[in-house]
Amino acid sequence: MTCNEIKELTVPYLELDLEPSRVRDVTTHLEGCAGCRAEMEAVRQVLVRVRGMAVPDPGDQFWREFPHRVRRELERLQSTANTLGGPSRYQWFLGRAVTAKWTLSLAASLLLVVGAWSLKGLLYRGMGPPEQSVVQGPNAADLPSLGDAVWEAFWEDDPDTVLVEMATQLDRQTMDRVFADI
Amino acid sequence: MAPSDYQLLDRYAAGDDSAFEELVTRHQKTVYDLAYRMLENHADAADLAQKTFVQVFLHHRSFKRESGFRTWVYQICLNQCRNALRNRFRLAHEDVEGLALAAPQDTFTEVARSELKDRLGQAIRTLPARQREALVLRVYHDHAFAEIGVIMSCSEGTAKANYHHAVDKLRRVLMAGEG
Repeated sequence: MTCNEIKELTVPYLELDLEPSRVRDVTTHLEGCAGCRAEMEAVRQVLVRVRGMAVPDPGDQFWREFPHRVRRELERLQSTANTLGGPSRYQWFLGRAVTAKWTLSLAASLLLVVGAWSLKGLLYRGMGPPEQSVVQGPNAADLPSLGDAVWEAFWEDDPDTVLVEMATQLDRQTMDRVFADI
Repeated sequence: MAPSDYQLLDRYAAGDDSAFEELVTRHQKTVYDLAYRMLENHADAADLAQKTFVQVFLHHRSFKRESGFRTWVYQICLNQCRNALRNRFRLAHEDVEGLALAAPQDTFTEVARSELKDRLGQAIRTLPARQREALVLRVYHDHAFAEIGVIMSCSEGTAKANYHHAVDKLRRVLMAGEG
């Protein structure tokens, strides 16, 4: 083994964290190398000195009172949590957000299904007999009757609104038909 | 035969108050020691040890028992230490008064200061946090490197490397001073 290799293994050697064969190799090298022995001793001294650094003991009274301090703080926090009504405000908000997310997801899924069915219905009608053609506009059965006096009055006042209203009703009718098909 | 930590935890969960005190008493010194070695003053260490146990009992139901109870407590303590050190660093950089607040003066601090005034204490203080954690857990708490890895949320190899780097730095500092 080279001195550089030994240097890498100094700490594991002192920590007894080496394979037995490696321990033998290091020991053999140390027996014949004064430089590495000095290096090894320096590291050992560091560990001894580090271990020798003690933490001042805060005293028996501190240790006796410590569990009670912990208990008081724990009870204070638990009572605060109870005052807030069980789970923390964060948990409450998270719960609401998750519920809202599920509701929104469900609504979006329903809309997608309905949309897909509507499209399917329109496509079938487009490929079907001429009287069902979407390109030619809705057939008479789908449109509200313009013979109605109220509709006629509206038509004269504001034809655009009437058209929009008719389109809305057409959409509802299509939806009804789609659901009937389902 | 003394009950295991898990047994005490079960008893606490079942409403046995004496289990609480037994668990705290069993681990308070090691938790305080770890906190002190990381924060270097009594007031902060005592506060942090208390916070650690409060967290332990607040969240004991979420403890999955994949590691030992002691390892879990150490993890919580070390996380608290990191937060405290970050706050201290931020305060120290915000203003000078903050620095004074971050390192309160008390009897134990004074004792510790006198002990840590030597080169080795200074050198340990300047170690990067991860190296210092590995050093403290290995040297003062006798953890195996595998357990240090779990506590520090890293691999056993990384824990070893951090420890080796720490010892190497301390050796160089001491040799430079003595040379």
